Amino acid sequence: MTRIPLATPVPLDLADELARRIYFTSDAITGFSMVTSGDAVTAVDVTLAARATDPVDLGRKLDVIVASDVLGQRRTAPAVVWHADASGPVRDVFDELLAMGAATESGPGQIAVGEPVLSLMDHLDARLRDVAAAEFTAQEFRYPTLLPADALLRTGYAESFPQLLMFVSRLHGDVDSYRGFLDTMGRAGRGAATLSEGLRAHGGGVDHCLPPTMCFHTYHQYADGSLPAPSLVVTSRGKSFRHESRYHRSLERLWDFTIREVVFLGPVDFVLDCRSRLMERTYALMESLGLGGRCEVAGDPFFLGEGTTERSWSQRLLKLKYELRLPLDDADGGRDVAVGSFNYHEQHFAKAFAITGETGEPVFSGCAGFGLERLAYAFLCRHGVDARGWPKDVRAAVAP
Amino acid sequence: MAENTIEDDKRLIRDFILRHVHGEPLDDDEDLFAGGYVNSLFAVQMLLWIERAFGLRVDDKDLDSTNFWSVNAITAFVTDRRVSAGGAAWTSN
Repeated sequence: MTRIPLATPVPLDLADELARRIYFTSDAITGFSMVTSGDAVTAVDVTLAARATDPVDLGRKLDVIVASDVLGQRRTAPAVVWHADASGPVRDVFDELLAMGAATESGPGQIAVGEPVLSLMDHLDARLRDVAAAEFTAQEFRYPTLLPADALLRTGYAESFPQLLMFVSRLHGDVDSYRGFLDTMGRAGRGAATLSEGLRAHGGGVDHCLPPTMCFHTYHQYADGSLPAPSLVVTSRGKSFRHESRYHRSLERLWDFTIREVVFLGPVDFVLDCRSRLMERTYALMESLGLGGRCEVAGDPFFLGEGTTERSWSQRLLKLKYELRLPLDDADGGRDVAVGSFNYHEQHFAKAFAITGETGEPVFSGCAGFGLERLAYAFLCRHGVDARGWPKDVRAAVAP
Repeated sequence: MAENTIEDDKRLIRDFILRHVHGEPLDDDEDLFAGGYVNSLFAVQMLLWIERAFGLRVDDKDLDSTNFWSVNAITAFVTDRRVSAGGAAWTSN
């Protein structure tokens, strides 16, 4: 354990904002606890990976994060807009899923799922898709996984969340590069380090990324033109990727995961009304699935970019983001997970992608995203892995 | 030193907002954000300005009201805070 003093103490009501950024400060940190004195965090006790790490330099990095991302923020009171209790206990069932072969860990944040999780995910997705179809007559698309790098850059994601980015790369398209790469492999032996060395020496540019969310595909789809209708609702489902600093050993935080997304594009009133209606319909769906939980104002983990504190604060002030959180376990004071979010972007994405409406002005947009692995996992933690304990309609659809 | 009247406060608040809505006509009761007049980053800018201009601290519980973001609502908030603080007046920009 190494104690890293903070140059400027962090008020306790901002401790969460510091905590969510500590692992991203350096991947040498493998564990931490915060040291408080009075009403402030004055130091961080860290455990470090085996490799040599200079505590003074680590202190500098932490001070950078504290100054740029934490101190300027103001804590806003929790604002819960929906809450429902459900009967019965909630307990983590990941070990049971492993034991029955319904989940297999293939790497950090990467879990293979089999039955009944697979069919349950499909069923929950179908219920969400039905909401989008019935309420909004949403058009559905299936997007390629790869997102053009230019599209990702237009979103501003790289400036806001550099820590989560996933790039797609390949070798430079030239026979000399291929031969050079093979020489590197032959010389150094096979292994991830060799691949990295070969890529550094012979790699081409990064022209594609893995999408962190599905809605970026939708903005790219309608970029540089006017919407084909005064307003539009689009839904899609696909794999999304976010590189987290640490992964829990379960389905609750994954490196790659599946999102059901609904995007609203059009005038401001239309977008806000759609978001509100989808929230209401989602609450009803959760209650019909026997899932208790809550929906509350939330913020994104903006990191290091210009205006990080202002963006975090304004996001909460104006309720731009709501998160739907469901419980996973009652033990130790309880643990929950965000299974979905409902977002309003103002004209940010329409301006970035030059998507215009009837007046020629950029349209407004909003979206809702549901993590299907998390939703299925929360369902299983509530109702158990045995389908005989599930609500009848779900059992009939998934495990007849 | 003359004390600001409520109308003085309202004029200051309206002027500050109008400087940021690019000449759009704006009713004193109109919600700035629901109407799409400004983007959300302006909320932070405006709160910091209110605190500086009127010598007040705005807490998040003050913002619970869904209609905080209009000229009239902000004026009412400033007036209310003045009264509860014993009438301290804004005196300089």
